[in-house]
Amino acid sequence: MAIEIESWVKVAAFSGAGLSMGLGAIGAAIGEGFAAAKANAAISRNPGISGDIFKLMLVGQAVAETAAIFSLVIGIILLFSNYSTASIISMAALFGAGLCMGFGAIGSGVGSGYPAGEACEGVARQPEMRGRLTTNMLIGSAVSQTPAIFSMVVAFMLMFLNFSGAPLHPTSAALLGAGLATGLASIGSGLGSGLAAGASCEGSARQPLNVGNITVIMLVGQAVSQTPSIFGLLISFVLMFKAYPSSELLGASMALLSAGLCTGFGGIGPGVGNGMTAQSAVTWVARNVRQESVLMRTMLVGQAVSQSTAIYAMVISLALIFLI
Amino acid sequence: MEDLGRISQLVIPIMGHDMVFNLNVIIMTWIVMGLLVFFGIMASRKRNVLPNPVQVVGELLVSNLYGLTEDALNKERSKSYSPLITALFMFLLLSNWVGMIPHMHEPTKDLNTPLSLGLMGFVIAHYAGIRAKGFKKYAKAYFEPIFFMAPLNIIGEVSKVISIAFRLFGNIMGGSIIILVVSHLVFSLVLPPFLNAFFVIFIGAIQAFVFTMLTLVYIAVQVN
Repeated sequence: MAIEIESWVKVAAFSGAGLSMGLGAIGAAIGEGFAAAKANAAISRNPGISGDIFKLMLVGQAVAETAAIFSLVIGIILLFSNYSTASIISMAALFGAGLCMGFGAIGSGVGSGYPAGEACEGVARQPEMRGRLTTNMLIGSAVSQTPAIFSMVVAFMLMFLNFSGAPLHPTSAALLGAGLATGLASIGSGLGSGLAAGASCEGSARQPLNVGNITVIMLVGQAVSQTPSIFGLLISFVLMFKAYPSSELLGASMALLSAGLCTGFGGIGPGVGNGMTAQSAVTWVARNVRQESVLMRTMLVGQAVSQSTAIYAMVISLALIFLI
Repeated sequence: MEDLGRISQLVIPIMGHDMVFNLNVIIMTWIVMGLLVFFGIMASRKRNVLPNPVQVVGELLVSNLYGLTEDALNKERSKSYSPLITALFMFLLLSNWVGMIPHMHEPTKDLNTPLSLGLMGFVIAHYAGIRAKGFKKYAKAYFEPIFFMAPLNIIGEVSKVISIAFRLFGNIMGGSIIILVVSHLVFSLVLPPFLNAFFVIFIGAIQAFVFTMLTLVYIAVQVN
């Protein structure tokens, strides 16, 4: 019997590794493709500096690949670790870790492609701004990686924390839910913050004098677009660290799993929506810097309203965890 | 690997309840504050028209953050709020960077620090709002667009605190966990300096700035 459960843990680790890398490859590839497409357009617009654009494209693509590299790391660790504690809990934890990183890498991969592409176009339009645009692109894509970093942290915790003392039944569902909450919620946030970063690269190329204001509103917009993934992180932590009474009922397990799914799926839309708001605000600050404070306020209020769906999802998740 | 999630605590039982102090966090916070006070003294001692290097750094920080505050609030209010914003940024920046030194931990790695700073920002923003608009107008903002939106508006305000605190906490703790695990996996060869440069210096600076800007923006939203 002991051997059997060990092989099941291996099954979970392998399928987790496959899903982590497989899902994680989706986003980064799309983002890099977008960057390359924009670089092509940029080179045909300004062939004189094709070397610079090419270099910038490669740098941007390297940053966009970070999310996929995170997935690769998680996948490799899942493949080659030895698991001493073999139980259904570690099965759920390893599978959850893979899913978390896989889903979490999608949004950030696509998102960090946008600033890379827009920066290439911006350099073609305004070659003097090369240095400033590169910095702006790096900041924007680094912040877009935050949701992927959150997913990686949750994946690491699921893999390395010791859950062996916890009761088998609700805990295994809770760990799977923890992985799904952060992973799914990161999709929208990564994509959304990428949109804002892209708009800032485009805007600073168009209006180099306003770079400071553009960077500030970009950072604020991105930070708010990442709130859904932060809610996901919060729910994951609650699911991981709460002590559950042992229960063989299917309902208790299902409630915890759906708590993760609820915040996860609930975060996708608000993340993208907030990103769109931020994108438009950044674009228009670049064109009309005198209205910056009004634009910032409108952006924040709009984002708060579109955020409310993520908050409903979080309220339901907390109710599922604590009331049922 | 075992110290993933280990916290050294001092537990003092008082009247049947346990008071828990996270020693690491307290000591590190005091170290950061001491360093900041030392920096302040060094920057303002022997002030000169031809500034010494420390004074230059201090002047850069103060004037840039003052400018940002003035952009968000008006000139009059920025005089009273920019010291707060500057101090907040300097504290967060140093807190995030101090973890680079071996055996030192970032105070922001513990949820208590970001959460209390977030609560501080929340209280200050609402106080500023009440003072600028008067209580009636301030309270009326909760009943917009329609009166039954009030509970949702209140939840929205509370969720701001949660999101601002967890953003900083997640990034800093995430960075430190990634550094710990990856360094462990590569036997501390080659990679750790680059990981530190990215997660501690770069992400630490960006997140300190984001936290400061969000606090400032929340004040501005309440005031205007």
